[in-house]
Amino acid sequence: MNLDKTMLAARWGLALLGVCAVSSPLLAQAAAAAPPDLTGVYYPIMPFPPGLVPPRPAEGQPPPKLRASAPLADGSQGRGRNAPSLTPEYMAKWEVVRKSRMSGSSEYDASAKCLPLGMPNMMVMFLGMEVMQNKDKITMFSELNDSLRRVYLDGRKPSQKVLDDPTYAGYSTGHWEGDTLVVDTVALHPGSFIDGMSPHSDQMTVHETIRFAEPTLLEDHVTVTDPKALTKPWENTYRYRRAKPGKDELREFACPEGLADAK
Amino acid sequence: MRIRYAGLITAFAAASFFATPALPHHSNVAFEVNKIITLTGEVTEFRWVNPHTWIGVNVDDGKGGKAVWAIEGRAPGVLLRAGWSKNFIKLGETVTIDFSPAKDGSKTGLVARVTKADGTILANAGPPQD
Repeated sequence: MNLDKTMLAARWGLALLGVCAVSSPLLAQAAAAAPPDLTGVYYPIMPFPPGLVPPRPAEGQPPPKLRASAPLADGSQGRGRNAPSLTPEYMAKWEVVRKSRMSGSSEYDASAKCLPLGMPNMMVMFLGMEVMQNKDKITMFSELNDSLRRVYLDGRKPSQKVLDDPTYAGYSTGHWEGDTLVVDTVALHPGSFIDGMSPHSDQMTVHETIRFAEPTLLEDHVTVTDPKALTKPWENTYRYRRAKPGKDELREFACPEGLADAK
Repeated sequence: MRIRYAGLITAFAAASFFATPALPHHSNVAFEVNKIITLTGEVTEFRWVNPHTWIGVNVDDGKGGKAVWAIEGRAPGVLLRAGWSKNFIKLGETVTIDFSPAKDGSKTGLVARVTKADGTILANAGPPQD
């Protein structure tokens, strides 16, 4: 009889201990801040040099004279100050791209062929970005060419099959460090361009830290490493502002729609 | 270059094989983006499609005749946010277009700004986000 009661007490004691053991870390986790929610629509900040979008004329004033219609993207001005530092082999490849673009050809313009821009260039998010987030995955959608990328947060790692199948967006895995999303992307298709024009090899990888610099200002700091194409890693920061109410609808792009009539 | 008058405007668009120029799909590199010229003419066509909208304008060719220019614009999503709509430009109306000419000298261009006869300005984008 006493043994039964003792056993019962012991069982209850163990159960109580179990509950404490399980709930303690849970309580600790709840007490720590939950990661930020990146869900929403954003537009890039100043993707163009200033002066490309003329301000509305003041009342009664004539419209301002325009100097350009679009950013110069054919390499005719040479390598920009912040351009990736290419190895001689990849500078030679860039020269081929430059010559082609300066002649007016779209042969080396992925976007003109309705292809995704690929990582990291797609993070310009030129026409707008929409982010969908849950605890296991973040999906970022780009209005330009209806491109998207997925960032897996559940601890999975790229398999050999994945590494052997490079894609424009690559394969991204990430985790939260406090308020910062840390992401690594591998398995990148060599047909994309790092910054829209600089070619890269199949060894390129991308590291990102993504966080809100202000409540409505999202920043993605990118570091690109490519032992074959770059003499040193290339860094760039993409910045976005949360869309305002009423301007938060991205549109379908359906890029090939108008190509049916193209020659 | 032959532009095909298919699309929004005519009932026989789908099967059209008119002797008209084909619309080339150019990226920005096909145009001299840092040069702007201005033409005024009547709208012959307005195609609201991805990846580029198109405006056809019938312009005086300076030799007593007319010539049709095909000017490529931004995608519908961008223009919607900049204040355009699918029906905002009507056939036959007179517009003034500021655009970058094509590198190959063809009668095509890349829109910078469209001004309607009543002075309404249709820019390529809304104000910067910041």
